[in-house]
Amino acid sequence: MLLLMVGLLSLLQAPWVYAGDEERKLEAVFIGRFASYIDWPDKDRERERFVITLLDDNPFGKLLDDLYRDKRIHNKPIELRYANKLEQVGETDVLFITLRNAAARLAATEFAHKNGILTISEAKGFAESGGIIQLDFVEQKTRIKINHAAAVKSGLKIGAPLLSIATVLRGDKP
Amino acid sequence: MKHFCCALLPLAIGTAFAADKTIQETNDYYSRPLDQLLQIETQAKAAVGSRGGERDALDAEVPIDIITSAQLQSTGQTELIRALAVLVPGFNAPRPSIADGTDHAPPFTLRGLNPDQVLVLINGKRLHQSSLLHNNGTVGRGSSGVDLNTISLRAIERVEVLRDGAAAQYGSDAIAGIINIILKGYGQSSQATVSYGRTRAGDGINKQVSVFHTLPLAGDGFVNLTAEWRDRGPSNRAGPDAYDGGRRNTHFGDADTQDGLFVLNAELPRGDTTLYAHGLYDKRRSSAGAFYRRADDERNLSTIYPNGFLPLIEPKILDFSMTGGARGILDSGTRWDVSYTHGHNDYHFYVNDSLNTSLGSATPTSFDSGATRYTQQILNLDLSRKIGRHTLSGGYEFRQEHYRIDKGDAASYMLGAENNYAYGAQGFPGFSPENEVSAKRQAHSLYGDLKYSVSDRLMLDSAARAEHYSDFGSALNGKLALRYRATEDLLFRTSASTGFRAPSLSQSHFSSTGTYRNSNDAAAQFWGNYAVDHPVARALGATDLKPEKSRHFTLGLVYQPAAQLTASADVFVTDIEDRIMPTGYIAGYSLSSLSSQAAAVLAQNNIDGAVYFTNAIGTRTRGFDLRLDYKHDLGNGAKLKFVGAYQRSKTNINTINQAPAVLGVNMTDLILDPFTKVMMEGGQPIDAIKLWSKYSTRDYDVVVNLNRFGKFSSVQAYDKVTFSARWTVDGELAYRVAKDVTLALGGVNLFNVKPEKWGNTDDSLVGLGKVIQYSQYAPFGYNGSYYYLRLAVDF
Repeated sequence: MLLLMVGLLSLLQAPWVYAGDEERKLEAVFIGRFASYIDWPDKDRERERFVITLLDDNPFGKLLDDLYRDKRIHNKPIELRYANKLEQVGETDVLFITLRNAAARLAATEFAHKNGILTISEAKGFAESGGIIQLDFVEQKTRIKINHAAAVKSGLKIGAPLLSIATVLRGDKP
Repeated sequence: MKHFCCALLPLAIGTAFAADKTIQETNDYYSRPLDQLLQIETQAKAAVGSRGGERDALDAEVPIDIITSAQLQSTGQTELIRALAVLVPGFNAPRPSIADGTDHAPPFTLRGLNPDQVLVLINGKRLHQSSLLHNNGTVGRGSSGVDLNTISLRAIERVEVLRDGAAAQYGSDAIAGIINIILKGYGQSSQATVSYGRTRAGDGINKQVSVFHTLPLAGDGFVNLTAEWRDRGPSNRAGPDAYDGGRRNTHFGDADTQDGLFVLNAELPRGDTTLYAHGLYDKRRSSAGAFYRRADDERNLSTIYPNGFLPLIEPKILDFSMTGGARGILDSGTRWDVSYTHGHNDYHFYVNDSLNTSLGSATPTSFDSGATRYTQQILNLDLSRKIGRHTLSGGYEFRQEHYRIDKGDAASYMLGAENNYAYGAQGFPGFSPENEVSAKRQAHSLYGDLKYSVSDRLMLDSAARAEHYSDFGSALNGKLALRYRATEDLLFRTSASTGFRAPSLSQSHFSSTGTYRNSNDAAAQFWGNYAVDHPVARALGATDLKPEKSRHFTLGLVYQPAAQLTASADVFVTDIEDRIMPTGYIAGYSLSSLSSQAAAVLAQNNIDGAVYFTNAIGTRTRGFDLRLDYKHDLGNGAKLKFVGAYQRSKTNINTINQAPAVLGVNMTDLILDPFTKVMMEGGQPIDAIKLWSKYSTRDYDVVVNLNRFGKFSSVQAYDKVTFSARWTVDGELAYRVAKDVTLALGGVNLFNVKPEKWGNTDDSLVGLGKVIQYSQYAPFGYNGSYYYLRLAVDF
């Protein structure tokens, strides 16, 4: 009976990112790796944990929890939070946005600017409309677009190694 | 219960193990430098078969192959139809020759089924078919298909090939599968390409120049423009004519074809709404020979052509389509997409270096033989909404089609007084006023699709589509598909569906008749193809065509033990009822048991014999597909990629409809002459192997492509002739001369393999050592080796 229960649980339990879902794995990795190249100069932000918040749908299943369980960013352990609405986003260092509506994304980026939060999304036009890092997948390769002005506006400094591999928007032009 | 538990245990263990593997791989990525992460190739996406947007091709509930632009380019081909024939198992595109219009817009088949049983989409929107009806003895005989060569290769980002019936989602034609061509979109770089190639024999010179230019717009919008000029010179593998002093007087090979192509793809995002447009334009001139008329041929006038003549069929083809639309997302989360598509094909026949023998010395030598035209307009609304883990989609489509035949000039079709039999333009007699037609129809469609996610592992997809056509009535089709991810590595998929193909307007309304005069006849005699609604065809039993109806079943699995390795296997069965075919020649001397009533109809109308389209037979196509994809990062920027595929399919005739009672013959005698039966059941390769591999470094790429084209059959003098399978090897070396400049040197069919020749025959033209030595059904043509150079500059 125990075997049966284990089997049924394995059949119905939410996984997941399956083995070949490279996009999802790379997105999960990039969230933390990007953060490691960002400098948050605001000393008032000192928190014991480095906080990453997902806003709206969670496409990663348990992958982020599994990946970041034993990781540290800026020498801090990582706390993952999941929010369905902007109002649920509290203090956070990184906001990964999966909102589908442009207006909702804009509200989230404005919130992030005011609170010195790194915003990341794969929504088209995200960087141009005030988001800081946009992930694109073009012909099965990852591309990074960074709105440097938005980062400055949020009080963030982006390290040169990250800028060197990205398309950098200064103002609203690439 | 014990057995059930035992069965579940490995799955549970497998799941836990696979989950660990995903975490290990993700952890591995986490430790890599950023620039290396950007080089990791992500999984292929596919939009076809889903109204909920793109999803991973390997995670789909139906088998989908993705052909990338890099693969297309590495074939060395400049025409899409030939590139796909190299890369897609089960996609067959022989090189027709001496087949009238078909030489200039060659047909293709998928899984051995006809060109009009494959739906072609551009960015997910239906592409119109050609107005040309393949009316000679080529593959796809009796059908009108999409002319894939009207699409510039350089404008394509990827080609999605859905290997399943999908008429319940997309409507008519999606029986053998769907080819969805995705044009280059966001994030591309501009590129200019020049290429030059020729066959080992020195002919078939192919020159191509293209420019792809991308203009980024605000909000990650873009305007992408592709302009291409393509000049494919003729090849000729005709043998010497022993009856003409050993001269090589015939053209048997590729037509001499020039294409000017233009492609637009644009998106303009505005908040949650994106305006989009895409368009194709192709203007083609082409030239190929008909059969040679020797000097002593009764159809020749030696005063004009003392040594005989080769009539040249030289059509001008104009093909364009344009789609404009908008899509977006509402605050409620509902996605919407509204679009309008206008497509048009104008196939205008011209015949040069010819004559109308019956006009005597007054004959012109150039003719306008008339045209076929086809226009399609589509208005479409799609809605889609995610409800929890489920997706509900639906929509409405209105389609209007217009098919026309325009007559040629009088000399192209008339029977003059100088010869009783050789009427019209030799090579391709023109359409006469009696053949002119302007036929329209409208179709309304309502459809819905529910993807029900029972769990993250188990997905159920159901679809239904109701259509009403103004000519034949209604059709209702459904589909049920199931995808079960047993473990992270292993996916099972199955689908069952019904489908249909509306009779094309060309099949219902095509008409091409000729005349001759017996010396004792008071009136001229007619013969040829009659539309099904022509009074003569009606009197001979023709009825309005019914749609072809199909049933589909697929069952397969995908095994992906690592992100670098994927294997899949799928079996399929496709049953088609009421397949539409042209009858044999209905005449007293060709059908010995033709009823006296039918003979009287022919006699009363001064008709020698007639052909019309009818719902004739049912077939079952069975087969399976195997695929293996492997990629390996060798370090220091070196990579290896391998795609292997095997496909096997066999079509059998399993039902034969009743012939019209008025004819007094059975359908086998009426339709299934030995040639037709063999072409239907064995005229295409029974199997195919494709082994494509690419080794890449920072400086160069090496591509090797190994193909096996399975055996196929044809008929000579009522006897079946089987041609053995052949292996070919293609190769390309692409060297990056500078950061943005790549020079490629390659060869197609490097070892100059030729298809098996016809054996000894009694035929005066076809046979070993004769004018036509190769079967035109040979799946890789008969040109032999082809070598090319290509220079690409990014800017």
